[in-house]
Amino acid sequence: MVKKGHKFCFKNISVTLIWCWLGFFALIPTFLMLMTSLVQQGDTELIRLQLTFANYFTLFNSIYLKIFAHSLLVAFEVTIICLILGYPFAYILAKLPESLKNLALLFVIIPFWTSSLIRTYAIVVILKTKGLLNTFLLWLGLIHTPLQLLYTNTAATIGLVYSLLPFMILPLYANIEKLDSRFVDAARDLGANSWQVFWKILVPLTLPGIIAGSMLVLLPAMSLFYISNILGGAKTMLIGNLIENQFLAARNWPLGATVSVVLTLFMALMFLTYVKVRSKNTADMGDLL
Amino acid sequence: MRKILLFCLSFFIINAFANDEKVVNVYNWSDYLPDEVLQQFEKETGIHVNYSTYDNNETMYAKLKANPDVGYDIVVPSTYFIDRMRREKMLQPIDKKRLVGLSNMNPALMNKSYDPGNNYSIPYLVGSTGILYNDLFYPIGSINAWKDLWQEKYHDRLLLLDDVREIFSMALLVLGYSPDTTNPEQIKAAYQKLQALLPNVKLFNDEAVKAIYIDEDATIGMVWSGDAFGAQQENPHLHFVFPKEGYVLSQDSMAIPANAPHLANAYRFINFILRPEIAAKIAAGTGYSTPNAAAMKYLPEAMRNSEIMYPNAKILARAHFQMDVGDAADDYEKYLEQLKLSA
Repeated sequence: MVKKGHKFCFKNISVTLIWCWLGFFALIPTFLMLMTSLVQQGDTELIRLQLTFANYFTLFNSIYLKIFAHSLLVAFEVTIICLILGYPFAYILAKLPESLKNLALLFVIIPFWTSSLIRTYAIVVILKTKGLLNTFLLWLGLIHTPLQLLYTNTAATIGLVYSLLPFMILPLYANIEKLDSRFVDAARDLGANSWQVFWKILVPLTLPGIIAGSMLVLLPAMSLFYISNILGGAKTMLIGNLIENQFLAARNWPLGATVSVVLTLFMALMFLTYVKVRSKNTADMGDLL
Repeated sequence: MRKILLFCLSFFIINAFANDEKVVNVYNWSDYLPDEVLQQFEKETGIHVNYSTYDNNETMYAKLKANPDVGYDIVVPSTYFIDRMRREKMLQPIDKKRLVGLSNMNPALMNKSYDPGNNYSIPYLVGSTGILYNDLFYPIGSINAWKDLWQEKYHDRLLLLDDVREIFSMALLVLGYSPDTTNPEQIKAAYQKLQALLPNVKLFNDEAVKAIYIDEDATIGMVWSGDAFGAQQENPHLHFVFPKEGYVLSQDSMAIPANAPHLANAYRFINFILRPEIAAKIAAGTGYSTPNAAAMKYLPEAMRNSEIMYPNAKILARAHFQMDVGDAADDYEKYLEQLKLSA
């Protein structure tokens, strides 16, 4: 009896602790953000407590829609490049012998041990006019004047793809590794060529991994503003910059909060779609088996 | 439960006794006070300095606005933020009878319109915004005005400071308007002028300007004089220009927030900074110019004779002290967002 009581106590405490943690650090801040988005900007105070939906209507201003569309476009580009690079990588990784596989996985994860900001500055050192890449190419004699790579959109894309690639590889790897290779064998037996095996068997079966990876890349790519600031020369305005600007430079907390809330809603919508697709997918698999 | 309550109460008690502490809470720009100076102050006075830093006025302002009891004793806002904060009663008047060495200050930098009579602020460091170019790429003397930056030959070359007021000041000066204008027509005209400049812009930056010019990742553009002087020491091909149309003189000043908890220590800190040899140490350590005229003789010779750091009276006459633009700040911000969208 005593033992059972202890167990009960432990369970209660840990569950309460987690709820308190979530309440303090997730629920209350989100709620405050929502409240702030529903009040007015003050003249000398930060906010004026008067209910309004005006902030949400302001967002339909063409400039904010443009920022959103532009961020989405950049994020799509990065996601597609990550998918093209990550899919073959994850496939090869999943097919490696056990001992090599763990080592390779470790190499994928190692960059997470360093702050992404520091890794971004490391890319600056590689790409700059007198950087490693230019020094190397000049030494080889391939070029005679340094390439101007830093502070271009290309540099920003390189940085985003580099930072987010592991988020694409890991879900794909988890999915491909579980894949029953007998599906592929069966397709080949039935006369499918390599392209058909890939398109009709592998892609549908790894779709949950593709969607999970794409979401994990797409959403941060929209808001990782410091990468485009450091590598792209701060010439473009992404959603992350907009939020930072509204809070600090424009001192319009309600509008900044509104952008945050809308972004959160957008993410939630994407996540719901994903859950829907996944449950439908598992249902299909159930039919199949 | 009682223990938890006691624990919470103890926080209030600590705060209540805070006034008698031998502590001063200083909130200053990053890289703006050499460690050596801080240590000397602590050693001489026995007052511990809680030192924290910010990267732009907006952050400091937002923090004090969100919580006026946040506990800072000294802040160091720029001219236009002194102007705004004193009008919003966020600062307390400085009792000049408690200051020692105020007469050492350069009279050309005192009693300006952002704070008439210096009732709320004591100048700390001064810098100018000008043009820097590299003579390996452009002949010496080929650039002497802001409007030169609009020439087609500088396509994809320019560094612009990532600061909304600095960028618009440049365009407004070219158009012949005041950099503090609140007239929507003039701000719009400046925005259109800047749109024409966009093809020439290589990057916007405010935190690595010095390194970018030294390593020639940018070869021409805007610069703050402190960075320009430092970069020139490492790369002698760099040249600083005080533009013909005029230029912005940014002056950051020490001020005491309205609810400062350690008032006596704040005055001791200001008096310490006002000492000529200390002011010279700060100027030498940061690379910016000191407003303290008596400090000049303690400066390293290269600095004292530098035209960038201490321009002559004729150049100084073109200088402009920035003022608060009030609600027009929103317009500026919106136009900058639009500008970056069309880049």
